[in-house]
Amino acid sequence: MTGSESGDPWEMLRSLPMGQRVEISDGAGHTWTGTVVPRHEFSGERILPLKIASGYNLGLRIEPTYTVRLLEPARSRTRAAGPPTSTERAAAAGARHVALLTTGGTIASRVDYETGGVRPVKEEREILAFYPDLEAAGPVRIVPVFDRLSEDFTPRDWMTLADHVVAAFGRGAIGVVIAHGTDTLAFTAAALSFLLVDLPGPVVLVGAQRSPDRPSSDGPSNLAAAVRVAREGGFGEVVVVMHDDLSDERFAIHRGTSVRKMHSSRRDAFHSRNGPPLGHVDGHGIRFTEAPRRPASGPPRVDGPLDEKGGLLWFYPGIAPERAAAFAEGLRGLVLAGTGLGHVGTQHLDWIRAAIRQGLVVAMTTQCLDGEVDPFVYATGRELQRAGVVYLGDLLPETAYAKLLWALGHGAGAAEVQALLLADVAGEFRWRRQPGAPA
Amino acid sequence: MKAGLEVHQQLAVGKLFCACPSELSDDIEGSFVRRLRPASGEDQAVDAATAFQASRGFRYRYEITPTTCLVEVDEEPPHPLNAEALEVALTLALLLEARPVDEIEVMRKIVVDGSNTSGFQRTALIATDGHLDLRGKRHSILSICLEEDAARKIAEAHGEVTYRLDRLGIPLIEIATGPEISSGAEAREVAEEIGALLRATRRTRRGIGSIREDLNVSAEGGQRIEIKGVQELRMIQEYVDREVARQEVLLRVRDDLRQRGVPVPGTELTDVTSIVPPVSSGPLSASARKGGPVLAVSLRGFAGLLRSPPGTDERLGRELADQARAVGLRGLLHSDELPGYGLGPHDVERMRTTLGLGPSDAFVLVASDDRARIAAALHAVVARAAAALEGIPTETRDPLPDGRTRYSRPLPGRDRMYPETDIPPIPVSSEHLARLAAHLPERPADLRERLARETGLPAELIRQIVSSDRVDPFEGLIRAGHSPALVARVLIQDIATVPHPEGEPEPEFSVGVLEAVLRAAADGTFAKEGIPAVLAELARGAADVRTAAARAGLTGLSGAELEALVDRIVRANRRLLRERGREAFSPLMGDVMREVRGRRDGQEVAEALRRAIDRLATDESPPS
Repeated sequence: MTGSESGDPWEMLRSLPMGQRVEISDGAGHTWTGTVVPRHEFSGERILPLKIASGYNLGLRIEPTYTVRLLEPARSRTRAAGPPTSTERAAAAGARHVALLTTGGTIASRVDYETGGVRPVKEEREILAFYPDLEAAGPVRIVPVFDRLSEDFTPRDWMTLADHVVAAFGRGAIGVVIAHGTDTLAFTAAALSFLLVDLPGPVVLVGAQRSPDRPSSDGPSNLAAAVRVAREGGFGEVVVVMHDDLSDERFAIHRGTSVRKMHSSRRDAFHSRNGPPLGHVDGHGIRFTEAPRRPASGPPRVDGPLDEKGGLLWFYPGIAPERAAAFAEGLRGLVLAGTGLGHVGTQHLDWIRAAIRQGLVVAMTTQCLDGEVDPFVYATGRELQRAGVVYLGDLLPETAYAKLLWALGHGAGAAEVQALLLADVAGEFRWRRQPGAPA
Repeated sequence: MKAGLEVHQQLAVGKLFCACPSELSDDIEGSFVRRLRPASGEDQAVDAATAFQASRGFRYRYEITPTTCLVEVDEEPPHPLNAEALEVALTLALLLEARPVDEIEVMRKIVVDGSNTSGFQRTALIATDGHLDLRGKRHSILSICLEEDAARKIAEAHGEVTYRLDRLGIPLIEIATGPEISSGAEAREVAEEIGALLRATRRTRRGIGSIREDLNVSAEGGQRIEIKGVQELRMIQEYVDREVARQEVLLRVRDDLRQRGVPVPGTELTDVTSIVPPVSSGPLSASARKGGPVLAVSLRGFAGLLRSPPGTDERLGRELADQARAVGLRGLLHSDELPGYGLGPHDVERMRTTLGLGPSDAFVLVASDDRARIAAALHAVVARAAAALEGIPTETRDPLPDGRTRYSRPLPGRDRMYPETDIPPIPVSSEHLARLAAHLPERPADLRERLARETGLPAELIRQIVSSDRVDPFEGLIRAGHSPALVARVLIQDIATVPHPEGEPEPEFSVGVLEAVLRAAADGTFAKEGIPAVLAELARGAADVRTAAARAGLTGLSGAELEALVDRIVRANRRLLRERGREAFSPLMGDVMREVRGRRDGQEVAEALRRAIDRLATDESPPS
């Protein structure tokens, strides 16, 4: 078959199924033989991507004068069947298992040859194919919850996840691991810290900064460390386990309320703010720098709901008071990420005073991320405090936002919400910041 | 036989996917440890080479230098492909009359030996289907690729391999020829010509390891074997010739095995620790001293086929030992080399009895205190012995300094490649190609012809200059008025004599410095013979040519001093002169030049010597 029969060979080539073998000649003595692979979303016009025998992909611009010959398919390769799942066996045996809730994200993603990007996987079989050593130390029950990247999460998803955690403990899990995209992992960790009450075992969020289809992925070692903490941690709170440094051998255990993603790409991107991590896990075992919360004996429950009428606003020089006021419209609560010790421009005092008078809860955090806010050092802080802004100590802006949604869901009036915001609910406030602690 | 080459040349244009310089460094700022595991490619298959490397279970330590950033550390996505490197690659494609692709797709080639922190090497096909004409023969150029160099291996011990990240990411141009090369000598010539072509772009790195060749060799009836990473051009011929010899021996072994009707060997392992006496030398000794177990496996029908046949150094026994080494053992003992290594004839007989072997059967012994490693080694040995029945397994081999090669790993297949999704496809426009085509560098053949015509120097000397990467200084210094022969001598010979540390490239001298040296020699500041000494002092740090000449002791010999020196030597050798007359000139000239040490021109010294000899003759002749 040649392209010239139908005129422009591009019309035929563009509709060929992936995997079709073709021979293309340019009429000038050059011939390419290869397999049609998916077009990249950024490919140019009339570009046909081919995989040639050496394994390289190349893009050919198909001119109307080119000729095409369709070839017999290459011998088909048998796809390696995934390993069998042990979930049912583990459940049936009632074994002491760890539950692994998967939500998508890099830790459960693979290269997508359609878009050239990375796509989440949701099938248990695919996950076990990535992590064949997952059950090395005991059964793991995999529960697919979502298959989305974490930037797509909403507070409603935090509620759904919290329900799944409680259900997993209800089925006898001794600990729960949540595989999560890293972008908003810290938000989820904070929200779950407020939502989950009376935890009988660890809830461990974990992610990966390198996708698991790379030999260098941090996913396998992070996940192994997370499963270990879930199995052996012996505590009852929400934590994040990720690389502690550039090596694949030491992992930090961060408290869910004081952790933040501090780098866009490094595998040790997650840091505990205002002090050291809660603990570490490495070849020598699990060690804590301070006592974690003891596991509860009673059944765990979700202490909802969240009220989504809360917002988070990052103050910057030049933001117009009207714009900021418009942002706050329709909200019941607002967390400000202010400058330094907790300030916004004095031009904003008027709308803040007015909004608070109308019932808006306004809370202050610092965009410095480390250190606590203090309204009494500068005049602006004193004015804001007098206006009714609640100063939230050393809470991270994201943690304060998650806590705000939780407090709005629990407090009827502004005063009650303010009181809940200031209460220590999940060990989220650090009362001492030592000079030796890493910034 | 037939052979093809893959030439890998580093470019000096900054790294391929980040803003780091293409420079090596010995300044270690820190290190970290990683583990790699196989990841499946597009179609979920794990490549044989990949699985093999992963099965070795190494930890990898990476050294950070000031010439590395988060990209090499695999902590940041790659930056866009280096545009200058791409220009060089496209220029090469045009010089080799290859067809560039219309859109470049960067691929990930899975490599889990730890040499890439990511576990893959980024590589892109730039062009295909070119050719190189050499001595009237056309060699096909299969592909021109642009890829990142791997990290430098520094050490390997106790299951940990140390790499330095400075080299990782330096752009490499890979040029693959077709299998049309028919001798080792031709392989070397093709490699040299491609090297000269690469250097013609003026953007190549220099020094040891900046150009490396992979040799694909198959003997008549043999298999394609890849010898990976040859750094010295002059060794190419030997590697190729020896590989052909190795394959010929293995093919003969295969024929003998078939003639004997030897069955596929079984994998039954026997613990023979109690039979083996304490040995003090050879591959078993280290383990034996620690009381580790010794295991044996039988190779029925293999007796006599493990040793080298007469007239060659190649043998199947070494291939088996390489398998044991690949899993981390020191090697093995096979029955064709016994008795020996502390095992007497009686021990060998007991071994045969225990294993139930006849005189035509062979056996292999392996020792280690790690039983799992022994089992892995012996299974690999048996698999290799079984492959001997089929012929020659395709594999990658490492070149050794003595001209031999050693088994490295199975030949990687196409499963190792999948798209680098962090980098969008890169279009190659016809306008860009036209711009490059308008400014192509001179091809080496044209350059040689022109230089020969312009300078009148012999062809061999011109060939050396073109191959040496010093064409620019050569032409610059001639334009400055210096004699082509002297310039060639300085560039090819004198620089090579400047002392430099073993294993490091020759020192570099800028055209400006070389010009100053040649000018000083022309002015008579010192003699041309003093140039190497001046260069040596400059390399040692002398601030300028005058200082260098003074430090070398080349200045300060006045005309009168020269006359006095010559007179002294002539007088001291009166007897020699009387006996041999004019024939004594040459030995005396040697003595004088040794003392002059390049402070005066040779011609001048010779004249002074002649005058002194004449004077002596006048003085001593009786008055008439």
